[in-house]
Amino acid sequence: MTLKSHDRLEELFRRVFNDYALVLRDRMTAADVEGWDSIAHINLMFSIEQEFGIDFERDEFARFTDIGDLKRLLEAKLAQ
Amino acid sequence: MSEQRTSSGGRIGGEGRDAAACLKLANDSHRSGNGPAAIGWLKRVTQFGDDFVSWQSAASLLARVRETHTPPAKRTVKVALLGSYTTAQMASLLPLAALAFDMDLEVYEGPYGAYRQEIINSIGPLYEADPDFVVIAVHEGEVAFPQIGGKPEDLDAELSRWTSLWDILKQRVSARIIQHNIAIRPDSPIGHVAASLEGSRYRMLQDLNSRLGLEAGERVAILDCERLASLIGKRRWFDDRYWYFSKQGVSLEALPLLVRHTAALIAAELGLTRKCVVVDLDNTLWGGVIGEDDLSGIRLGDGPHGEAFVAFQEYLLELKRRGILLAVCSKNNEMDARLPFERHPDMRIKLDDVAVFLANWAPKPENLTTIAERLNIGLDALVFVDDDPVEREIVRLSLPEVAVIRLPDDPAYYVRAVSESLLFEARLFTQEDAQRTEQYRARAQIAELESSASTLEEFYTSLEMRAEIAPIDGFHLPRVVQLIGKTNQFNLTTRRHSRATVEAFLADQEYVHLYLKLRDRFADHGLVGVLIARRIGDLLDIDTWLLSCRAIGRTAEAAMLGGLVVEAQMRGCTRLRGTYIPTTKNAVVSDLFSRFGFRLVEEQARKTVWECDVAALDPSGSQFIERVVGRDDAEVA
Repeated sequence: MTLKSHDRLEELFRRVFNDYALVLRDRMTAADVEGWDSIAHINLMFSIEQEFGIDFERDEFARFTDIGDLKRLLEAKLAQ
Repeated sequence: MSEQRTSSGGRIGGEGRDAAACLKLANDSHRSGNGPAAIGWLKRVTQFGDDFVSWQSAASLLARVRETHTPPAKRTVKVALLGSYTTAQMASLLPLAALAFDMDLEVYEGPYGAYRQEIINSIGPLYEADPDFVVIAVHEGEVAFPQIGGKPEDLDAELSRWTSLWDILKQRVSARIIQHNIAIRPDSPIGHVAASLEGSRYRMLQDLNSRLGLEAGERVAILDCERLASLIGKRRWFDDRYWYFSKQGVSLEALPLLVRHTAALIAAELGLTRKCVVVDLDNTLWGGVIGEDDLSGIRLGDGPHGEAFVAFQEYLLELKRRGILLAVCSKNNEMDARLPFERHPDMRIKLDDVAVFLANWAPKPENLTTIAERLNIGLDALVFVDDDPVEREIVRLSLPEVAVIRLPDDPAYYVRAVSESLLFEARLFTQEDAQRTEQYRARAQIAELESSASTLEEFYTSLEMRAEIAPIDGFHLPRVVQLIGKTNQFNLTTRRHSRATVEAFLADQEYVHLYLKLRDRFADHGLVGVLIARRIGDLLDIDTWLLSCRAIGRTAEAAMLGGLVVEAQMRGCTRLRGTYIPTTKNAVVSDLFSRFGFRLVEEQARKTVWECDVAALDPSGSQFIERVVGRDDAEVA
């Protein structure tokens, strides 16, 4: 993932979770971020779609296990 | 993300900042413990547009801020949200949307999809929550019409499924009901034929919406989701992916629009609608600058710009016809500013339409304060409309109570900007609303007379006031409920009784209730006073006593007390008791009871209780107000 996309994703996470000190790491999971529950997950995925102009497919929605995974998924979609 | 919406008209919001910047500032304020500032920035986030990502983030921060800080609000409102689909996001966004309408809103969210069970079960969290409003948020899937071949009785059955839920709620709670109507999916399998084929699902759903509106009556307000879905576009309102992901009946993208309208409707139901629109002149009511371009040089009437300004003026006049006051605040020489009103053939607004006209070189916040004072309304009743972003920001910073509409650059979108602010939503449209400008203009004239009469007595006498005082009846009930809901200043107890409660008072023999209508030689002020008292043995205990702000300072309170004294004598009551509950707005009546000779019998931090012997009071009321019956001026007292 490009540095620019990483920064955009990080900035988006900070906004969505209201944590401007949040640093996005590849091994991070939902358990590491305060407030990341199932509803927040839907909101987050929608926010990522809006920010990057992509549409997740149904099975992609919950497929990633950590942030590194999400970034690879996003990269693949952006390359399409 | 939000740029796509800039063409759809300006909205109230900050200048030179964006939603993300306001969010960041809200977070900084929250972290440094400054709750009020955080809330101020969060309110601004909602004013840049209906971008879900910003809204969601602001809403979750607001939930945290509210743990320690209560948002400044005219009213605290408890809303029960019952849905047929996932309502978690709606529940979280509603308190945020409420900020723009001066409400502190709390939500009880019913369990997923269980709106019907929640209403039917007589015990349970819905009824324990004791809400002020019940929102029934439902989607098309709840309606069981076939695609073709539906019968009239199917429609009746469907309608009664909804009205029976309303009936149950009406019996069990005093809350008002907000019913979503059905946003109709645009993908009918039979295409255009659906519009003309009797019994098609498409037509049946349209009929259902229309019948729901007809059945709604006083206790139910329809939230017109079908209109909102059309407004934002049905491709955007419905997002099937998110329906399958997580049962979002309305797309997340459309939710800010929906909750903003919900909050506006609740605010309107509570009488929190803004009362006065204050407009600038140059480049707001016409194109160009009158002081430089002269009468023939300003753009008004012909050409695309000129027509847009005419349309905007006509829209403002429609607001005025609905009872919204119109005021002018312009940096101009007064002579120049008046010229188009007097001489321009395409000017729609006339000087007579304007309740207060201020054209001078004073700072606008100063003039806005003057306008509020002259009209005897709060700054929080004003909406400021100006094309100049600098003026808007100055007003926003120095008078945060004033709502500021961010006009777009193109006058073609002025109407949309004001309309989409939702600051003038109406609920109960009363006769008094329509007469309001006349009355306020009369007030301004009276202010002049007041300074010319040498004594207050002379002044009161010169007004030639007449009052009609009578028991509240069904005909006057809507106005009485409206006044109970919104009167802040002359209001001894500020008890916001619901319509149902007032109806119960009227049916109860132990309650004495009076309304007062006031006229003078300048205007008919309509129903401006309400007094409700409960009989306890030989005592009459005043539950509610209020006077609309336009009738303050006229001795109307003495007339009302006189009316109560007569009632007390007829019922053999020998004592009156009154309670004063102080609020931030009602200091004007803090000494009311002592002025009438009541003695203090109980003093607590939050209220004082006063009593007086009926024999010590004057049943004739005010010597300056003649009591009349109805409209025929027959004298009774």
